[in-house]
Amino acid sequence: MSVNNTSVRDGYIELKFGPRWKYIACVRGFIQNFLAISIVDQSKADKIAMAASELLENAVKYASKDDTHIVIKVSPATEQIQILVVNTADQESIDTLLTIYKKISEGDALQVYVTQMKEAALRSDGKSHLGLARIRYETGGDLKVDVHNREVQVSIAIG
Amino acid sequence: MNRLNIEKIHEDRMEVEVFDENSNICVRFKGDIDMEDPGVFLDPFFNQLHEGMIAQKIKEVKADFKELNFLNSSGIKAVAKWIMKLTELSDAEKYTIRILYNRDITWQVTSLPTLNFLVPGVVKVE
Ligand SMILES: Nc1ncnc2c1ncn2[C@@H]1O[C@H](COP(=O)(O)OP(=O)(O)O)[C@@H](O)[C@H]1O
Ligand SMILES: [Mg+2]
Repeated sequence: MSVNNTSVRDGYIELKFGPRWKYIACVRGFIQNFLAISIVDQSKADKIAMAASELLENAVKYASKDDTHIVIKVSPATEQIQILVVNTADQESIDTLLTIYKKISEGDALQVYVTQMKEAALRSDGKSHLGLARIRYETGGDLKVDVHNREVQVSIAIG
Repeated sequence: MNRLNIEKIHEDRMEVEVFDENSNICVRFKGDIDMEDPGVFLDPFFNQLHEGMIAQKIKEVKADFKELNFLNSSGIKAVAKWIMKLTELSDAEKYTIRILYNRDITWQVTSLPTLNFLVPGVVKVE
């Protein structure tokens, strides 16, 4: 997804995001308000705000440069919403991201989420490897990861 | 103070408090749990709760999430860690976790019932 493909009727907002943890809650609240004026379905707005929050947490934790941004795109006709978070990362994080993405994209979303929870419970580092599985299960949306060189794009579309 | 002697946690916009409820215990979560590593507060809290439940042979704890607006995936990990501790207990030590959730909060409706699948038979979601 890129803003350039956005049709005239679609609305979008793009935010550059300095890597500050405290901004995440603020952006989450902003997205919720933004969606409240763009769509009617409250639970869809909640799911999008949750997904944006998890994706921004990742961007703050794993970005290697100060160039993170988030795009929120709304198609009023279909009420489809896409969130795209872009950041630069080092190869190690990218490799982990691709491995986890592959693992959590296959099979039943609930089963995958529960498996990730059980594995997370055994970890004692700061990681949970639970965020992406949570997004997939809770939103039921289409989660995508694209990597070009060191640029990571993670997106979720909810119809 | 509750009979497990567990102090209330108040960090950022999150509050966690333990109450006595007849012969059982109630834990109430409030606000937003969205810090980078909530395990720093939640892991020791759940350990103390778990040890207390066993030591005092309390058979049920109510986990009330109704006023928790947001819980990030690192927070979900901390809750899952607590529930998974029940697999280490003998039948005599086992206690039940009754999870109360808010049907108006979207993430609670989708994520909290899944805790049921972690350890069969010890979690009741209502
Ligand atoms: N935006 C990102 N940039 C680089 N690496 C990422 C990004 N998002 C996720 N990752 C990698 O993918 C892993 C899985 O992410 P996630 O499921 O959210 O779990 P967690 O954040 O708890 O580690 C992370 O541990 C990290 O290594
Ligand atoms: Mg994450």
